[in-house]
Amino acid sequence: MMDGMEDVLPSETNGTKSGRSDTVDLNDSTLQVDISDALSEREKVKFTVHTKTTLPDYAKPEFSVVRQHEEFIWLHDRFDENEDYAGYIIPPPPPRPDFDASREKLQKLGEGEGSMTKEEFSKMKQELEAEYLATFKKTVAMHEVFLTRLAQHTVFRNDHNFKVFLEYEQDLSVRTKNKKEKVEGLFKSFNKSTDEILLAATQKDVDDYFEREKTFLLEYHMAIKDATTKADKMTQAHKSVADSYIQLSSGLSQLGTIEGPRLEKFINKVADTFEKARKVEGRVSSDEDLKLSDTLRYYVRDGSAAKDLLYRRLRCLANYEQANKNLDRARAKNKDVHAAELAQQNACEKFEHISNKAKEELNDLKARRVTAFKKNLIELAELELKHAKAQAQLLKSCLQSLPEE
Amino acid sequence: MADSREPPPLFNDDKEDDNDDLFSSAVQSPVSEQTTTPEDQRSPEDPLTPPPPAASLTPEPHNPGTPPDLFESVAEGPVVVQGGSPKLSSVPLDLPAGGNGGEGKQQPTFFPTPLQEVSLEEEGDEPDIFDTMSSPKLQLNQDTSEPPVPPSSILPPMGAPLTPPVVPITPTATPSLTPNITPAAPTPVTPVAVARSSPEQAEGDGGDEFIQITVSDPQKIGDGMSSYMAYKVTTKTNVSYFRKKHWSVMRRFSDFLGLHRKLVEKHLHSGRVIPPAPEKSAIGTTKIKLGSDKNADSGSLDFIERRRAALERYMNRTSTHPTLRADPDFREFVELDAELPRATQTSALSSAGVLRLLNRVGETVNKMTFKMDESDQWFEERTQQIESLDAQLRKLHASMERLVNYRRELALSTAAFAKATAVLSSVEEHSSLSRALHQLSESTERTQTIHHAQADADFYVLSENTKDYIQLISAVKDVFHERVKTFQTWQHAQITLAKKREAKAKAELAGRMDKVQQAQEEVTEWEGKVERSQEEFERISRAIKKEMEQFDVMRVKDFRDMVIKYLEDLMTSQQQIIKVWETFIPEAKAIS
Repeated sequence: MMDGMEDVLPSETNGTKSGRSDTVDLNDSTLQVDISDALSEREKVKFTVHTKTTLPDYAKPEFSVVRQHEEFIWLHDRFDENEDYAGYIIPPPPPRPDFDASREKLQKLGEGEGSMTKEEFSKMKQELEAEYLATFKKTVAMHEVFLTRLAQHTVFRNDHNFKVFLEYEQDLSVRTKNKKEKVEGLFKSFNKSTDEILLAATQKDVDDYFEREKTFLLEYHMAIKDATTKADKMTQAHKSVADSYIQLSSGLSQLGTIEGPRLEKFINKVADTFEKARKVEGRVSSDEDLKLSDTLRYYVRDGSAAKDLLYRRLRCLANYEQANKNLDRARAKNKDVHAAELAQQNACEKFEHISNKAKEELNDLKARRVTAFKKNLIELAELELKHAKAQAQLLKSCLQSLPEE
Repeated sequence: MADSREPPPLFNDDKEDDNDDLFSSAVQSPVSEQTTTPEDQRSPEDPLTPPPPAASLTPEPHNPGTPPDLFESVAEGPVVVQGGSPKLSSVPLDLPAGGNGGEGKQQPTFFPTPLQEVSLEEEGDEPDIFDTMSSPKLQLNQDTSEPPVPPSSILPPMGAPLTPPVVPITPTATPSLTPNITPAAPTPVTPVAVARSSPEQAEGDGGDEFIQITVSDPQKIGDGMSSYMAYKVTTKTNVSYFRKKHWSVMRRFSDFLGLHRKLVEKHLHSGRVIPPAPEKSAIGTTKIKLGSDKNADSGSLDFIERRRAALERYMNRTSTHPTLRADPDFREFVELDAELPRATQTSALSSAGVLRLLNRVGETVNKMTFKMDESDQWFEERTQQIESLDAQLRKLHASMERLVNYRRELALSTAAFAKATAVLSSVEEHSSLSRALHQLSESTERTQTIHHAQADADFYVLSENTKDYIQLISAVKDVFHERVKTFQTWQHAQITLAKKREAKAKAELAGRMDKVQQAQEEVTEWEGKVERSQEEFERISRAIKKEMEQFDVMRVKDFRDMVIKYLEDLMTSQQQIIKVWETFIPEAKAIS
């Protein structure tokens, strides 16, 4: 199954696009991007990015290209490294499509095939396939969210790289970083984090607002990361409970055949109920995952991006102050004053620009977060309620029909 | 035996004393059993129910009036017992249960009773006569076609306590009975069977009786290695032969095991299924022995709780079985206010324990090597069914344990999530979102409690009960094996008989008169043994059939109850979850 081609239409991904609709304004039709199709091949997923636009820069009003995950990352890096965008929160890149867990489970299931009955096996296989499908849909959704945020952003949408990404029909030939580049990348991030820590320790922010924001973001980031892991564990456990119902149900039906007429009908009804209950429990688990864990996870990443922004700003501030010092020194030595002045001007402008933008972005982030949480929490609660009611109803009807035996 | 033939009304009159309950229960159970058992052709004997003694007495109708008088004079209790005997012996209605129960029941309340029973039994020596006489009359058990099975087979298990008292009473009963009954056969063995049958029949009726046992208050008595856990056993009952209606005693775990051991010794050969007792656990017990009261950690508390629940189920299962309930050891266990004598034989390390272990090994080897020629279709099918049931239940139990574990995990992870959310809510600066997150944390906390409780229900209701059933099934297998053993004995006796006959023939040919005499004696002896073991075999077969019927009914009922209770628990959990989320939604909506 996983080796074959699997087509998933966005229309099927009902509700899996967690943050999409309310974090971005969809009313702007000048540039609309979505992922209309996705194929899962052996190791990779191919996304069909479909664009509809009224902007003049684009050659055609509507077109599609096929992109792979690495190309998304490439795009993100382009934005990240661009100094012009230093003041913005760069939308977090979508996570790599990870089907390892599902694959492992399927393998384990295959190994254990001999020990269970045919129906049990086919049921568990179905479950795994559904799980795989869900993961698949999620990854499509996340890639889509990334693109839509870029498309809706007033500044980003005009980025050249973005255009290339959307339009260029050939492969972007973005090779994954080879070893050297990977090591380089590692170095860079190491440097960055040490710098971050250094700055955090030494650099005093002139603006209280940012000071507060920084502390808040740091704390929040930790808390939300923690919450995400716990939420994931919870949904996992929930899924396991649902799956164990399968074995219970099939064990019971087998017992029914052995028991003979006296208990058979009774047992079969119960087995059936467990089967249905399992489906509901499974839905509970996946909905929790979608509404709760995914929201948390997304904001972990967004918060990370915000932290990056702050870092950039701080760096900029440090540079600015450095430039100031340089200027003073230059003035004192009366050498290269002009150059220093220019540098200082630049740094000052940059800094101010970043600060303003950053303020906007952070406020924006806050608002987005609150709305997203609100929507998802409401949806989560309603879904949980719906499922609990369904289960209670199922059990009630089962109980009512049982004594009639 | 004549007594057993008494017309019902006679017995009714006699029944004012507390044997009444005994009889009513005894009588009624066969009725109920009859309705459920298709096997033996039991006429749905309603007469059994109303005038309990009548039932047992019906077989007697053909007896002239004198015996009844005799019976009355002799004793009321025993009479009833006797009543059903002749016919009852042929019909395994309540045979196993009745025999033990009747005798057991009568022991405490009516000391002379057993004596009388025994004596009466002796009267019933003439199987042929009884059969012919009783067959037409016995409405209770319908197997009129049954060959005169000497009740002797029934005797052995109960024989011991009863034989001594026989002597004094016999003289009284015998004379009256003899005229009605052809001179009893010389077999001293028969009587017990007869006596057994009536009590069995009497025992069948358990409808109105109520007995409920709770095991509570586990306490640690003593300290260190010599300490032990004592449990309070509270009994509520309206059964007549108990002294009070509601009382409690303190018992320790080895007492329970000792009781089980005694019941097995006494009842297994009669083909009864004895509910298994909870297992010993060296680790758990040592933990408790060595741990102090203060640091009773959740692990050992859990262990104690499991054991307490298991003991309670064990007691209740044993008490629902009418025969076992009437057993004197059981009654003593439940009633005796003082400490019971230490059942040292239950200790795993004692010599008795080692002996038991060796016995068990021998039996296992025996089970595997001896393949019985199964002539009875019923047993063939049942054995198969039991085996597959066993395998299936084990599988089911494994998946139940998995469910319990996963749910416990779910509870834990939900708790962790609740805490993380609480932290998040405290960090969150947006006030209404913070409030909502806080609510989320509380809701999750509540769902966690629900999950935890549900996991407990999963465990105690489903998993432990299924485990009990697996053990019960192995008790059933033990009973089946007993039957195989009796068959073996029978075969062996037959082979020896053939050999003895051969020896006799040889001696005759050789003209050795003295040897012939001796050989003749041996032949006779072995003929008797063959007969007896055959009876034993058939008796146990019948007993098992009956037991299995009862077992099946009980098992089906228990299973249904268990499943229904579990489903109800599940439903309650879901409803609680509903409430939790209902309170959360407005909070979530309130985020501005």
